[in-house]
Amino acid sequence: MGGDFEGVVRPRRTPRGRCGQAIVEFAVVLPLFLFCLIGALDAGLWAVQTSAEVSAVEQAAMIASSAGSSPVSETAPDARAVTAAISGRLRSALFGTAIDSWCATDATGNCAPDSTQRCPTTPAEVQAKEGPRVVVVCVSEADPPACTTPPPGLRSPYPPGCADSPMITVRVIGFVASFVPPGFGPGAGAFELPTDISATTHTLRFAP
Amino acid sequence: MTRSRRRGDNAQAVLETALVIPILLFLVCNFIAVMVEVTVQEQLNSATALAAQSRFQAPENAFDVLGTRCCGAHGVTLVTSGLPTGCRYAAETFYGTMTTYTGLLHWKPATLCTSGGDSGNAGHPQAPPVAYAESPSNAEVSCDIGAVTTGGGVIPGYVDRTLNPPSGLDVVTCSASASLDFANTPLAWGVFWTPTLHAQAEAVPPPFRQ
Repeated sequence: MGGDFEGVVRPRRTPRGRCGQAIVEFAVVLPLFLFCLIGALDAGLWAVQTSAEVSAVEQAAMIASSAGSSPVSETAPDARAVTAAISGRLRSALFGTAIDSWCATDATGNCAPDSTQRCPTTPAEVQAKEGPRVVVVCVSEADPPACTTPPPGLRSPYPPGCADSPMITVRVIGFVASFVPPGFGPGAGAFELPTDISATTHTLRFAP
Repeated sequence: MTRSRRRGDNAQAVLETALVIPILLFLVCNFIAVMVEVTVQEQLNSATALAAQSRFQAPENAFDVLGTRCCGAHGVTLVTSGLPTGCRYAAETFYGTMTTYTGLLHWKPATLCTSGGDSGNAGHPQAPPVAYAESPSNAEVSCDIGAVTTGGGVIPGYVDRTLNPPSGLDVVTCSASASLDFANTPLAWGVFWTPTLHAQAEAVPPPFRQ
């Protein structure tokens, strides 16, 4: 009888072997599955956040271009006022992310004049000043060159473009919260992704 | 026999994994690509809408003087001398806003400044816009701007007959087309389609103009 089982692996070892194999398979597949799941979740979240930023920045540009401090204003509206106008729209999508305005205040407590207002150029610059998972709204204005008497043969206004209305740029820049784990993604830290959305338009000016 | 079956099970598991992982990554890549496409389309819509609106930030009958140049993609300078200033404003707004994802886009060249288009209705045939003389044809955005006066003559603007029918309404319409190419991104591994994006926006004249 016993000779019938000669050379055959004992049956009681098979379930343990299969169990071990399943654990190894599970250990290999789980990180990949999580990677794909988190990647898909993050892509969806990123798209929602970016779409909200794009529409908010568009709205902010419209507000900033037509809402100077007075109809003959030569300065862009206060960044904090623009931030307040769009923060509701941003907050609904940027959960886990703080929203602030980029504003260097002067002695009176107002935002510094446009000539000294410089928007951050990289999300890292925002992070260095504001910390992780913060986006800032920055409003800056670029004025055209002053008009001068045109040289003979050329028509005024000179130089070309000197009579243009200033250009307003609204920028939402920083790091937004995400599911990116530590060590992955382009962010400086964990659980964040960089964002940089801007809109530029000419301001609406009324003749004084 | 049992040992060979176990080896067979292992081989099957490896094969299953080798099949499933690429399919999973393929799906994730395409999911991310769709998200990118939606986001870029959103950005294109926004840039086009702001461009159409900004035409009205320029004085109605202002024209660019000799030597006026304008922005462009990839450092290209567009000459706008003799064109309505509103057209340049629209272009500057478009290029100033469409600053992200530009590395993924292949633009369809368009005439920067046109006028005289008509959306048409039963009484009026649809008419394509006419390019302004000297208008650059290698722009990424095309704007059919409202009525302007040149040397006493009136060039009709775009008449949208779906607005205020049947006579229509003079509006500014801007459009831009581009294809989204993932070839230079890691997504190229699993994304084999190249979507074409198109955005068109209209703006009506505000009640107050300079």
